[in-house]
Amino acid sequence: MTRASDWSPRRGRLFALNDSNPLVPYLYLLPHAAFFLVFTVYPVGYGLWVSFHRWDLLSDQQEFVGLTFYRNLFDPSTPQSQFFWKSLINTTLFTLISTPLLVGAALGLAVLLYRPIFGRAVFRAIFFMPGILSVSVMGILWRWMFDNQSGLVNVIRQEFWGLPVIQFLTTEGWAWVPIIVGTVWWTVGFNMTLYLAALGGISHSVYEAADIDGAGPWAKFRHITVPLLAPTTLFITVTTVLASFQLFGQSQVITNGGPARSTQSVIMYITEEAFGNYQLSSASAMAFVFGALMLVFTVIQFRLMVKDLNTSRER
Amino acid sequence: MVSSGRYSRSTPRWRRVRDLPRFIVLAVLAVIFLAPLYWMLSTSFKPEAETISIPVQWIPKNPTLENYNEIINSPDGKLLRWTWNSLFTAFAFTFVHVTLCVLAAYPLSRMRFKGREIWFWFILSSMMVPGIVTLIPTYIMMLQFNWIDTYHALIWPGVAGGFGVFLLRQFFSTLPRELEEAARMDGANSLQILLFVILPLSVPVLVTLGVFSFMGSWNNYVWPLYVATSPDMQTLPVGLTSFSQRYVTEYGKLMAGTALAAIPVLVAYLLAQRYLEQGIALTGMKE
Repeated sequence: MTRASDWSPRRGRLFALNDSNPLVPYLYLLPHAAFFLVFTVYPVGYGLWVSFHRWDLLSDQQEFVGLTFYRNLFDPSTPQSQFFWKSLINTTLFTLISTPLLVGAALGLAVLLYRPIFGRAVFRAIFFMPGILSVSVMGILWRWMFDNQSGLVNVIRQEFWGLPVIQFLTTEGWAWVPIIVGTVWWTVGFNMTLYLAALGGISHSVYEAADIDGAGPWAKFRHITVPLLAPTTLFITVTTVLASFQLFGQSQVITNGGPARSTQSVIMYITEEAFGNYQLSSASAMAFVFGALMLVFTVIQFRLMVKDLNTSRER
Repeated sequence: MVSSGRYSRSTPRWRRVRDLPRFIVLAVLAVIFLAPLYWMLSTSFKPEAETISIPVQWIPKNPTLENYNEIINSPDGKLLRWTWNSLFTAFAFTFVHVTLCVLAAYPLSRMRFKGREIWFWFILSSMMVPGIVTLIPTYIMMLQFNWIDTYHALIWPGVAGGFGVFLLRQFFSTLPRELEEAARMDGANSLQILLFVILPLSVPVLVTLGVFSFMGSWNNYVWPLYVATSPDMQTLPVGLTSFSQRYVTEYGKLMAGTALAAIPVLVAYLLAQRYLEQGIALTGMKE
């Protein structure tokens, strides 16, 4: 370290990229910081400002209305309040149904695929592959699979089992089926990959010890695999809940939120209010209320990630 | 990572027999998973009349490329234009995003300076802001910048991510100090150390972040839906949705368009599969 001063004799040259220049770290941070401040930090404050005013796209002067738009959301007589909470209930319903499926099926697939088997790499690719499709490809595909007349699901039901056609896309309740089936098909492979990585981290000796104790496959799964995977399960559950609350494209493409707004998600309603009705302030207020509700899950995810950060630091 | 021996000719017969039920379950699931994709391809090669015929035609009776021909050449299809928009946006976004994150993660992981911890936690905590909160104000900013219907709106707003900095800082922190000090003895400045010592050792994590950024941009739907509205500026996911509203009853053409949008990513996935799955494992590892 003593030699360091020999090769950097000219202290204080502001653009010299060596240790003598105290500005160097800040120069590296600058490009990221500039975009970060403009497109992340500033919009949060600006959004708050918008939600306190009656934002008019055509005017320079924005009228201050304080908490009016927030109060509207908690006043059951306004349409905003009705539609916002309805869409929030819809999204919660979707999350409650899809999360256990996405976590359970992912664990199932990972356990089936963990031990070597003929064609394992191909199976892994097949289960993961749908996840790389864009939401519109996935949506168009599943809208058609569940089409009332010629959709494959109804056709198979009729031809093979003689069951009557179900108007999946246009019946309240049933309309969730294509959205949930499509979503599971689309994203379960991602969670499966996380589980496979976690399974790889479980030491064989644990299972060998269980073998000596005479544990069967189910007992090993129940008493070793599941508990040892608990941190992964928590992580996957939290990220899946967060992702499910962001529901947008699937509902938009498969059912367009129908019938009768029964599959409209929160994000769909907020964007409708903003870009369909041009009520940018009202939509901003909703975004903050929804964002505050989401914060709980985000903080949990954040803490899980920070735990990860601290473990890797100790290494 | 995930392995405990491979399947080969030498695998004993008793193990093959024991694994048979598991194989059958996997095979059935795989068929179910592939069915929608097969159905899409099969339909895209059928003449329109065949697409809704009953009983179902699993294999097109009179295969034709007419659907592909029509949607590529149709004046209002613009599928090629949307593909270009998506590709250009995704490449530009990925390049800028990875560059900015590398530059920011480098001092945060390997230099000492005032405010380092605070700034890192500030960037990290921005990840707690749900996207919907910044959607509307950023949209208004795009209006003010006159960036609606330009590539600027598609590329710039997301380039300074918190996750990218987090991921890279994590990785950079694990590299041994000695390498860096050896380079410094040889007279390298910090930029040379970054370019010739740190980055060559960080290829896996850079590829991971790159693939994630690319996929994120390529599949982005909500943002481009509102900031790129003219038919010439739409990206593939958005354009495809408008396309599907136009051809809602012409299943052959609809599926040909969907297949055209899906096939390039499927091929790219097969090429990058290893990196992609490793990347997910890397970012999700808890132990």
